[in-house]
Amino acid sequence: MSLLFDISLFQLTLLMMAPLIIACLGETIIERSGILNVGIEGVVTLGSVTGFLLTYYSGSAIIGCLVAALSGSVLTLLLAYFSITLRANQIVIGLGIFVLGLGISPTIYRLAVGVVQSIPQVPTLKEIPIPLLGAIPFIGEIFFRQNGLVYMSYFLVAAVSFFLFKTPLGLRLRACGENPRAADTVGIDVARMRYGACAVGGLFLGVAGAYLPLVISGSFTDNIVNGRGWLALMLVIFGRWIPVWSFVGALLFAYVDAFQFKVNALPQFAKIIPPQFLLMLPYVFAMIVLVQVARGAESPRALTRPYDREARD
Amino acid sequence: MRTEGVMTEKIAACVEMYGVSKSFGQVRALDAVDFEAAKGEIHALLGENGAGKTTLMNILSGLYRMDEGRIAVEGREVDIHSPQDAIAVGVGMVHQHVELIGNFTALENILLGREGSRWKLDVEARRSSVEELAANYGLSIPLDEGVKTLPAGIQQKVEILKALYHGADILILDEPTTMLTPHEVDGLFTILKSFARGGLTVVFITHKIQEVLDNCDRITVFRGGLKVDTIPREEATRERLVQMMMGERGMPPEGERPTGPSAAREGSPALSVRGVRTSAKWGVPLTDVAFDVPRGLIVGMAGISGNGQKELAEALAGIIEVEAGEVRVDGEEVTGLSVAGRIARGMSLLPQDRIEEGILPGLSLAENFVLGLHPHIFKRRGVFEREAAFELGRNAIAEFNILARNEHVPAAHLSGGNIQKTIVARSVMLAHKTGGKVMIANNPTRGLDVMAASFVHGRLRELRAGGAGVLLISEDLDELCLMSDRIVVIYAGEILGAFDGPEYDIYQIGALMAGQKQEEVS
Repeated sequence: MSLLFDISLFQLTLLMMAPLIIACLGETIIERSGILNVGIEGVVTLGSVTGFLLTYYSGSAIIGCLVAALSGSVLTLLLAYFSITLRANQIVIGLGIFVLGLGISPTIYRLAVGVVQSIPQVPTLKEIPIPLLGAIPFIGEIFFRQNGLVYMSYFLVAAVSFFLFKTPLGLRLRACGENPRAADTVGIDVARMRYGACAVGGLFLGVAGAYLPLVISGSFTDNIVNGRGWLALMLVIFGRWIPVWSFVGALLFAYVDAFQFKVNALPQFAKIIPPQFLLMLPYVFAMIVLVQVARGAESPRALTRPYDREARD
Repeated sequence: MRTEGVMTEKIAACVEMYGVSKSFGQVRALDAVDFEAAKGEIHALLGENGAGKTTLMNILSGLYRMDEGRIAVEGREVDIHSPQDAIAVGVGMVHQHVELIGNFTALENILLGREGSRWKLDVEARRSSVEELAANYGLSIPLDEGVKTLPAGIQQKVEILKALYHGADILILDEPTTMLTPHEVDGLFTILKSFARGGLTVVFITHKIQEVLDNCDRITVFRGGLKVDTIPREEATRERLVQMMMGERGMPPEGERPTGPSAAREGSPALSVRGVRTSAKWGVPLTDVAFDVPRGLIVGMAGISGNGQKELAEALAGIIEVEAGEVRVDGEEVTGLSVAGRIARGMSLLPQDRIEEGILPGLSLAENFVLGLHPHIFKRRGVFEREAAFELGRNAIAEFNILARNEHVPAAHLSGGNIQKTIVARSVMLAHKTGGKVMIANNPTRGLDVMAASFVHGRLRELRAGGAGVLLISEDLDELCLMSDRIVVIYAGEILGAFDGPEYDIYQIGALMAGQKQEEVS
């Protein structure tokens, strides 16, 4: 049992949770405006390559994160242009963005790094224990002995929740996702709100991508995102487009992920259970949970529906 | 910002529109239309569906851009390019299908776009000003309820209050009475009259002549994208308005009036429903629904939209399963049968949503006609006989007077009225082939012009005369009174009462539609 309730396991859980929830918050903002970004996996991948390279060349993780955020925003704005201005099918465009992001990222990496003997590495972010809070036994040790991006993810959950539900702009954004015509008739510029949501949400997706090389691996590999983008997309549904619930979902999933990571590292289990089986565990868990939770989940009413003011019905 | 001093000699004309034209693709929806409405009047825009009245008001409220024309508000020319511009000059519009956000509270809906603060949403701080406005205008609304749980009449009040909160002094209402009970209609006009007395300009769009005669100061009539004329109420008579609306075509001949339940034919009822219940997962749950549709009668089902009509039609047709109860067609139980099984026993359905459920939009008219009729027209099982299908299509187009170039045109290219004719034609042909014992028609004339509606009514009467039972589900009480031998009222999935025709007291029916039990009414 100590295997399941180990402090280091919980710490690892929080570490794994951060990129999921950051991406999930970005997607939540985008979807709340009525745009479904199924290209999220591709955008996150682009974020991880730009984040890694800029950190590697500049030596500053902050610059890496900023550039990753910008690249995520740019790629998401491409989706926005096709789905808002050209009113194309968002699923089709989103899948295009997915493939584009997945293809262009290793290309950028190879162009920048070339063929090398030793893989470039960046130092992973150090944990910054928070004074006082970090000294609280158990809870403090788990939550407040983490790297800066994990703290940022806590802050973002609160900030996005506040934005969506406690600001006039958040109300307008949700209105665009629920009934764009109603928003339009009270003078809200639906296209501008949706572009804005994509631009800001894209920043989040880029940072989530940069997190992976900067915290988890220290290097970039083609398959670095490994379905985390898709998982974030599912966590949005899991949380029913409410950040706090997505946070709970991200914690659950990250826990299972961290568990399989720990167990795989133990030699006594490796003999009994094939590592592939353990690797599969988080995804099986996600499927089972989602099938249960997603039942009856109500998405923003206008999700995936382009808005045309002069459309006649 | 408007200034107070400008409106002196121009006070009569609060809104003026000159030479407004608008095309949608090939269709000229408005052709050089002039319109003006004065301060303090209730001005009706009367016309058939597609006459252009809603298009004109959508231009005024900034939703559509006009191709040509000028607009002046209180004597000053204005550019209206977006709803934002329209709000700025005091134009507010209440749309036919209310444009509210179902998951927001009434208060949030009203504040949306004019929240009164920049960074922190403080709904409570604005509550008192909204309440005060509501009290001033006599609109009582539960501000904290989620809008989707509110009945249509209240939603409409929310929308009116929203327009007023956004500073409207020109209030446009598009077909505001279609979703209301007769009592609510009276209440609405009482409120609108007090608005007009208070100096607001009220423009309301309708196709119902009686409403115009009862409630308006002036009337502008539209026909086919053109303005016919504007006349004061005193000069308007029913005959004159009909003539203006319909032009040379005149009104379609009025069909045979219903005779009441005495006309029922002998024998077991065409449709008999007993104790039908359905689960809430299909929408509004039905509770112990029981009624008969005798042979040779049209039974109307009155109710405000969303009270279980759609669920009932689908339960009867076998699309959704019933939890308890039985359905009989001509005495034979069909409760457990599939849709096809019921069709084979003489049941046919006219679905409510013609585009979503009625047709295959991308396929040709001929193929649409074949749907469901295929066992009857193809001689060899499992083979699509093209010639037989084309012949069927040609015959149907001729017999039912459908406006289409030929039977190969995709169904989606037809106008709404002709699509509905296509569906009616198919159901009627099917009814003939299967012995046509019972027809379930769910809002068969919604959105149709007078001619097309009259066509549908004619076909339903033919079925009735042929001894079939017709269940006519409609939200339009006038239509039900015109067509039905008996009217039953559905409310929240329950049958609240039945009235025998041919004469009806619409206020009694309206009370039941609003959910009062029959005992309380009498």
